[in-house]
Amino acid sequence: MRDTDTITAISTPQGEGGIGIIRISGEEAINIGSQILRHPSGKKIITWPERQVRLGLAVFPDGSVIDEVIYFLFKNNRSYTGEDVLEIQGHGGLQNLRKILNSTLKAGARLAEPGEFTKRAYLNGRIDLAQAEAVIDLIRSRTDLAHKAALTQLRGDLSTVIKEQEKKLMEILVPIEAALDFPEDEIPDLKREEALKIVEGAIFKINELLANADQGMILRDSATVVLAGRPNVGKSSLLNSLLGEERAIVTPIPGTTRDFVSEVIDLNGVPVRLIDTAGIREIEDLIEKAGVERAWEIIKQADLILVVLDSALGITPEDYQMLNQIKERVPIIILNKTDLPSQISFKEIKKEFPQNKVLSVSALTGAGIKELKSFIREELIGTNISEEHPFLVTRLRHKEALEEACKYLRFTAEGITSHLSEDLIAVDLRAALEALGRISGKSVSEEVISQIFSQFCIGK
Amino acid sequence: MKKIYDVAVIGAGHAGCEAANAVSKMGFDTLLLTLNFNNIAFMPCNPSVGGPGKGNLVREVDALGGLIGRITDLAHLQMRALNTQKGPAVRAFRAQADKHLYQQCMRNYIEKQPLITIKQGKVSSIKRIKDHWCLTLNTGVCYEVSAVIIATGTFLRGKIHIGLFSYSSGPQGQHPAISLAESLEAQGIRFKRFKTGTSARVRKRSLDFSKMIEQPGDWLPHGFSYWLPWEPREPVSCWLTYTNQKTHEIIRNNLDVAPMYCGEITGTGTRYCPAIEGKVVNFPHKDKHQVFIEPEGLNTDEMYIAGLSSSLPEEIQDQFMRTVPGLENVEIVRPGYAIEYDVISPDQLLTSLQIRDWPGIFCAGQINGTSGYEEAAAQGIIAGINAGLYLRGEEPFVLKRNEAYIGVLIDDLITKENNEPYRVMTSRAEFRLSLRQENADLRLTDYGYKFKLISEADYQFFRTKRERIQEKLRFLEGNNLSPGSEEAEIIQAKTGLKIQQTTNLKQLLKRPEINCAIIREAFKNGKDELTNEDEVIENLIKYEGYLEREAKMAARLQKTEGKKIPVDFDYSQVPNLSFEAREKLMRYRPETFGQAGRISGVSPADLSALLIWMTRSRKK
Ligand SMILES: Cc1cc2nc3c(=O)[nH]c(=O)nc-3n(C[C@H](O)[C@H](O)[C@H](O)COP(=O)(O)OP(=O)(O)OC[C@H]3O[C@@H](n4cnc5c(N)ncnc54)[C@H](O)[C@@H]3O)c2cc1C
Ligand SMILES: Nc1nc2c(ncn2[C@@H]2O[C@H](COP(=O)(O)OP(=O)(O)OP(=O)(O)O)[C@@H](O)[C@H]2O)c(=O)[nH]1
Ligand SMILES: [Mg+2]
Repeated sequence: MRDTDTITAISTPQGEGGIGIIRISGEEAINIGSQILRHPSGKKIITWPERQVRLGLAVFPDGSVIDEVIYFLFKNNRSYTGEDVLEIQGHGGLQNLRKILNSTLKAGARLAEPGEFTKRAYLNGRIDLAQAEAVIDLIRSRTDLAHKAALTQLRGDLSTVIKEQEKKLMEILVPIEAALDFPEDEIPDLKREEALKIVEGAIFKINELLANADQGMILRDSATVVLAGRPNVGKSSLLNSLLGEERAIVTPIPGTTRDFVSEVIDLNGVPVRLIDTAGIREIEDLIEKAGVERAWEIIKQADLILVVLDSALGITPEDYQMLNQIKERVPIIILNKTDLPSQISFKEIKKEFPQNKVLSVSALTGAGIKELKSFIREELIGTNISEEHPFLVTRLRHKEALEEACKYLRFTAEGITSHLSEDLIAVDLRAALEALGRISGKSVSEEVISQIFSQFCIGK
Repeated sequence: MKKIYDVAVIGAGHAGCEAANAVSKMGFDTLLLTLNFNNIAFMPCNPSVGGPGKGNLVREVDALGGLIGRITDLAHLQMRALNTQKGPAVRAFRAQADKHLYQQCMRNYIEKQPLITIKQGKVSSIKRIKDHWCLTLNTGVCYEVSAVIIATGTFLRGKIHIGLFSYSSGPQGQHPAISLAESLEAQGIRFKRFKTGTSARVRKRSLDFSKMIEQPGDWLPHGFSYWLPWEPREPVSCWLTYTNQKTHEIIRNNLDVAPMYCGEITGTGTRYCPAIEGKVVNFPHKDKHQVFIEPEGLNTDEMYIAGLSSSLPEEIQDQFMRTVPGLENVEIVRPGYAIEYDVISPDQLLTSLQIRDWPGIFCAGQINGTSGYEEAAAQGIIAGINAGLYLRGEEPFVLKRNEAYIGVLIDDLITKENNEPYRVMTSRAEFRLSLRQENADLRLTDYGYKFKLISEADYQFFRTKRERIQEKLRFLEGNNLSPGSEEAEIIQAKTGLKIQQTTNLKQLLKRPEINCAIIREAFKNGKDELTNEDEVIENLIKYEGYLEREAKMAARLQKTEGKKIPVDFDYSQVPNLSFEAREKLMRYRPETFGQAGRISGVSPADLSALLIWMTRSRKK
């Protein structure tokens, strides 16, 4: 597979059953077009005007007609992929489109891999990495909210916010650097108060982005929530009840679940990976033992732990031991089987485990399940999701870059107030800008130099 | 007639002299060729050496055993310390040199080198004959050598413009080198066209200094060179005056005869020393521009006008200069001009400054697309050393970006698309705090000694200095200042600082009001050695945190710099490379992974694609 091949695919937009689109992208697009398209009169097409809708016939390379179509051409400097793109709209069902696709393949195109058009756009510098990543996220997004987050990133909202701050910070850095390099030219002195305001403004903006970065990352990657507890407390029953389908096997025999069961659910827009694990107990049986070990692995890595207790049995020494073992992780306690006569009350548990949140449910009757769902969602992502604070940061890479930028901006602010020399302030400011550049793709040092010369009249 | 040398250096400019000196000191028979024996180390432009970045280069060349620092010290007319308030990384000396004295000192020095033979002559071709190179002069003389350093400056197909009048020429009316360029081109070397310019020279007697601001020099405790005893001179002043709206109007009205604006000049010029035409056009709302009047030498009435570089017709230059206060009655000796010339596309160069696939042929100086005496000197010494190592069959000497501005300069040259003559700037150096002007010897003199460019005696002097610095650092680390002590009282009297609790001297030195001299006075310890040891120690201690950060960065750089890319690596195989990156990588052929990442157009994502591919194909 080569990035220089001309690629082709059916890319029918959703919701338009009647028409289908075939896209061809690459150097050979026009050449392929002239092999598989004809004038309505049947003549060969000689001229290929750009961005004009034309009527034509799709044919096999041998000339036999497949369909009447509409086609248009985007030249490389204007197309999505940055290459020549030919779009062909045919009617009818999949059968018909497949024939046209086949014809493009015979004419020398290669079938595109999933996401390859976007990859071309990225490789040709049409979209930046953040946007390319967003397209991939968009394709894979599991819930509406996640879809929205990916869309805002694709629109370049994150890049916009960052570029705005970069621009402001450059306004401080460029005169500092210019003055350092050209001391005998007339360059205005650093105005420390103004500079400080800009730096603090940037810190504020970045912190705003970071404030919901963890949630943003959950939206992209989905959080893992594990159901843990002794055998037979009803973990698998709870999983099924939360999913609304009989996914895991449920029996009255302790030790039913041997390996883990995992499923993604959509909690009102938040994608959550629920994992049901083997009941934890000391056991000789090798298979179950392996299951228990695995359960522990999963518990360790989960974003949220739900420890299920059997209210009809009360808290057993094993329950105590387990809760104690994962005390630091502050698991949520789920008191199950509340439809049965209880050995222990909600109040008593609260008293026993004051650090932990406790919820009563019945997997059997479904009581408390709705509350459990909104509880999990809130634990993961909070309550204040609104249109005004869209999730712009959804990747660890971006989050880390922003945190680093923030750190160096704090140093910069300190340096400005404590009257540090300008070469040192510049070092911190540059480090911050470089961190931001990891998201925006800007190279600080080239930018600085070109701005020095465009802003100041330098040189003897 | 045929003569044999180990190495020939074509050009006795600032690059050529350094190169010849370096390679001859390594023990090789060196032929130094120049178009004109009178014009050795000629300064065709501003007679000024140093400044931020450039001063660091001068010190680095000096620390390696080069010449520019010592010759400048000998020939200086005034010295200034720049950026003294802006921080240690950017402090820099700048010297005005006596142009004629500079040439004379350089010539004397070169003439004393036993292994250098100087010849006036014009090389018209370089040809490979079996395992050596044959240089032919236009007179037909032929030299047989094993290595060549091409340091021909702005002479290759030079063309001078003054107004609409233009002619083939080297700088300041010297001969151009045309057949050499043609011979190289015919053998596949690619050139591009750059342009630079200079301003008119005028008679001192025609200037009215009472209308200008005097710019006296500073008395400095030491000069550029680490090795010469510093003999400061009575500084000779420069003068400052300004252009005005009238000046600008004349220029604006004559753009149709300005070769830069009427299409006569196609070569690209610099943004950092623009002609006055450029300044007026690009910054229309600036109502005045600085003009510095600088002496060309002690024994001449000629003065240099910095800031009015121009290639307008001579009579227009005369007209606009007369509008500048103090220049009303100006007598022009030589008009300003622009010069276009060939530079080698630097994507053909290796980090050693050898031309790729031309074993033993090195290039240095303005021919590589740089500008400035310091940049030329820096490349000259490196090309000289590498020619020597080549002759010995050893690995080339490559300075890293965290070791020297020289490293930054050469690395930038061969990885960046330079669309204008390249000048060092401190903002190009990501290790700026480590690459200070004062510590160049500590960074580089060991290398200079290893290559025998530093004499035994100088090296001994350096080692003693280094040991003294270590000793002083140990003293600071190992001693405290206690409240109420005699020393504490002296310090309080000097600085007003009241010592409340026992403080380690190193910590004490971190305070802004404390310096080495004060501590020395309080502790009556040691004497001032009149080298720059205090400055070294103060910078090391005061900026410790920042320096540590750079050291960490440098360690990271080392990792990518250590990853070599095979010379014949096939980039067309690598999936997921952006097309721009692929094209650039194929053209620049970086030697290391680190270099690949610095090529403009190669993004971090491209780099990871490359890395993944390289690791994968190595496993196979
Ligand atoms: C008009 C002008 C304006 C400038 N303005 C500035 C400025 O404002 N700021 C700045 O920093 N720098 C400026 N420079 C640049 C600075 O002068 C050079 O960068 C520096 O001199 C380059 O040194 P070099 O050793 O590479 O070349 P040069 O000093 O030019 O030396 C070239 C040498 O090569 C010899 N040579 C050439 N061809 C042959 C041949 N075929 N055979 C034998 N010998 C040959 C010549 O005789 C000469 O000795 C200017 C240069 C010029 C010409
Ligand atoms: N009455 C009542 N019974 C329940 C409830 N939840 C689970 N059960 C029963 O408890 C038994 C065990 O349920 P599972 O869901 O298999 O329990 P588990 O925790 O997954 O058990 P292991 O997989 O063995 O660890 C089954 O018989 C369920 O029907 C509940 O809320 N009320
Ligand atoms: Mg189960």
